[in-house]
Amino acid sequence: MLSQMQILALGVGGVFGMALIVAELADPDRIIGTLRLKDFHAMRTIAMFVLTSMVGVWVLSQVGLAHLSIKPAVMTPVAVGGSLLGFGFGMTGFCPGTGLACAAAGRGDAWISVAGMFLGALAFIVLWPFIVPQLSDVWNYGQTTLPEFTGSPSWWWVGGFVGLGGLVLFVTRPRRK
Amino acid sequence: MHTSREPILPWWAAGILLGLVMTLAVAVKKPLGVSTQFVVANGAILKEAASDYVDGHDMLKQAKYHTPGYGWWFDIGLFVAASATAVLVGKFKPRATCEWARANGSVRKRLILSFIGGFILLFGTRLAGGCTSGQFASGWAQLSLSVVPFTVAMFAFGMLAARIFFPKTPGVSEGA
Repeated sequence: MLSQMQILALGVGGVFGMALIVAELADPDRIIGTLRLKDFHAMRTIAMFVLTSMVGVWVLSQVGLAHLSIKPAVMTPVAVGGSLLGFGFGMTGFCPGTGLACAAAGRGDAWISVAGMFLGALAFIVLWPFIVPQLSDVWNYGQTTLPEFTGSPSWWWVGGFVGLGGLVLFVTRPRRK
Repeated sequence: MHTSREPILPWWAAGILLGLVMTLAVAVKKPLGVSTQFVVANGAILKEAASDYVDGHDMLKQAKYHTPGYGWWFDIGLFVAASATAVLVGKFKPRATCEWARANGSVRKRLILSFIGGFILLFGTRLAGGCTSGQFASGWAQLSLSVVPFTVAMFAFGMLAARIFFPKTPGVSEGA
């Protein structure tokens, strides 16, 4: 039998998988089109995703219901890793989550990409002892947030991003012809 | 525009839906994240095949990197539900390439790039400590400092790679 943790995980993962398909982020044409600045649907979807998450998570933390997990701001591996991820992302139109979702939707290229990801993880494991501990010691701000780092209240940030982002999305909204 | 097909949901509804999923995930257990499980899958196999290696590896010896847990079942749920949803909305279709790849080369080229790209992106993801879900979306949701360099690096190199590998826009005026 499945434990409560497993059922919860299947449920949350399930709604995410469903959302990736209906939001069409699990679609390499949308992603490549976005990175080539030709398709603004996915870009707007991602912006709305980020703004809604920001508000949702902020509200949860105000009422003490948030289970946060802040990644340490280790600048070198984050920047180098982010660059490699971005490069692979632009090469394929997949990221780990959408790669799995695309494979699930019958895309053979996504299955091949997931196999590459599996080997990429193995390479990371093998190289880990030689790179990660060394890089973690330099230029590491720890598990900090933008409000903590700048000593400003979190609602300034949430309000600022939502206000500005919402305005940009509204002003540039696609109109029906 | 010629590249945009009629979407299933308007962008704002799609974004709100994803944002609510993030909020649900944070309320239930932790922010969204997918990529760690690629390490866990390798870790679980290595634990069986070469447990001495795992025990001597400062990252892998931690139980969360070789024992399937919440994140593992999360990814299984993601896969199964994505498949079922794709069938329901008529998006399930066996195929080996996409429109952008077809406009820029053969299926063989698409598969080779998919493999190499998958390798690079997962390696990068783990180095950065998270992917487009775990670092980017979860990072912005929590306003983490790490999301700023991550976002700049990811989009800059993503746009660069897309320009290198997909110079031709599919659709109407090809080569124009």
